[in-house]
Amino acid sequence: MRKLWWRHAALIVISVIMLAPFYWLLKTAITSENIYEYPPHLLPVRPQLFNFVDVWYLIPFPRYLFNSIVVSLIAVAGNLVLNAMAGFALTLPFVGRRSVIVLLLSCTLIPFQATIIPAYLITAHLGLLNSYLGLALPLLSTIVCIFIFKASFDAVPRSLIDAARIDGLGEMRILLRVMLPLSTPAIATNIVLSFIWSWNNFLWPLIITRSQDMQTLPLGLARFLSYMEDTTDALYAFVVMVLAPGLLVFLMAQSAFMRGLTTGATKG
Amino acid sequence: MRWRRILLSRFFIVPAVLLLGTGAWNVYVDLHAHGLLEGRVVDPAGKPVAGATVILSVHDFVTQVEKARTRTDSAGRFRFDDNPSHLIQLQAQDGTEASPRVTIRLWFRGQDRVVQEPLRLAPSA
Repeated sequence: MRKLWWRHAALIVISVIMLAPFYWLLKTAITSENIYEYPPHLLPVRPQLFNFVDVWYLIPFPRYLFNSIVVSLIAVAGNLVLNAMAGFALTLPFVGRRSVIVLLLSCTLIPFQATIIPAYLITAHLGLLNSYLGLALPLLSTIVCIFIFKASFDAVPRSLIDAARIDGLGEMRILLRVMLPLSTPAIATNIVLSFIWSWNNFLWPLIITRSQDMQTLPLGLARFLSYMEDTTDALYAFVVMVLAPGLLVFLMAQSAFMRGLTTGATKG
Repeated sequence: MRWRRILLSRFFIVPAVLLLGTGAWNVYVDLHAHGLLEGRVVDPAGKPVAGATVILSVHDFVTQVEKARTRTDSAGRFRFDDNPSHLIQLQAQDGTEASPRVTIRLWFRGQDRVVQEPLRLAPSA
């Protein structure tokens, strides 16, 4: 019991240390304090929400928000469809399956920056520069999420799939009717990861957008920072507004997300 | 039963509450965004000043642009009908006297507002 108490105390201290920057961010966003003031105030002084109103009106925030939502929804939809199919394919026996798995795993070692020129050229050839689909294209399928689906599908009892086959279900219907309903944690993990990756993506939108109308929130944040460099409170309000949707999605799917990451970990 | 489970899940309730809140806020904004702005101008002794000029400037992080002027009535009251912004500054002038610039922050563009604290004239430096 005594040992457990210390463990909890240590975890609380670590949590406080990790959450402190977020608290400071929120505190600065709801006040107009000078962040360089010494000694700093621990609690917000005269809190107000007008910084959020400033951000909403002084830059095209609604447009950035709309673009980010559309791109993230496309990325999430693409991830669910393509990764589920790819993950299911990798659970089936076929010639060269092991090689495909090794190839996919080795591809995770290649940083995105190294593939950005071919990715740009492919997107340009497809005529998708400066479009929502083009913005979402590199995140339509991610290898990590394919393996999350694969691990989840591997945990489904083989007898269940065999029974479905005997009942006459094709592979696609087995995926839709048997595998996916039993893999909700993997679906939640895919949604959370693809949403957050897409939401926070900065480099790719920076490269392929041509007009301000197509920019997403991270680009808007960079523009805001360069345009209004001495308005820390409004800048922090902007950061909170960019962070909030991702946090909300994560908090809603948190438990399923954790289960999804550990599915298959104890298999065998 | 399945629908009931979906309707009671947080994946439905949270977006639904957000959508409802956004809708209600937009209705409120629509009903209260006529750009009306009212207030008073008083002299250093606190008496209403008739015929004082009140200047409305739209303010942002970088610029400040004068948008409208009006004059106070016999009771020292002024009124603007077309405030376009959410972040404005007001200043009253009367002859050699002027009030300090007062920054007014609104919750949305053109929010109707009665400024409670009067603009107090003081001799210009």
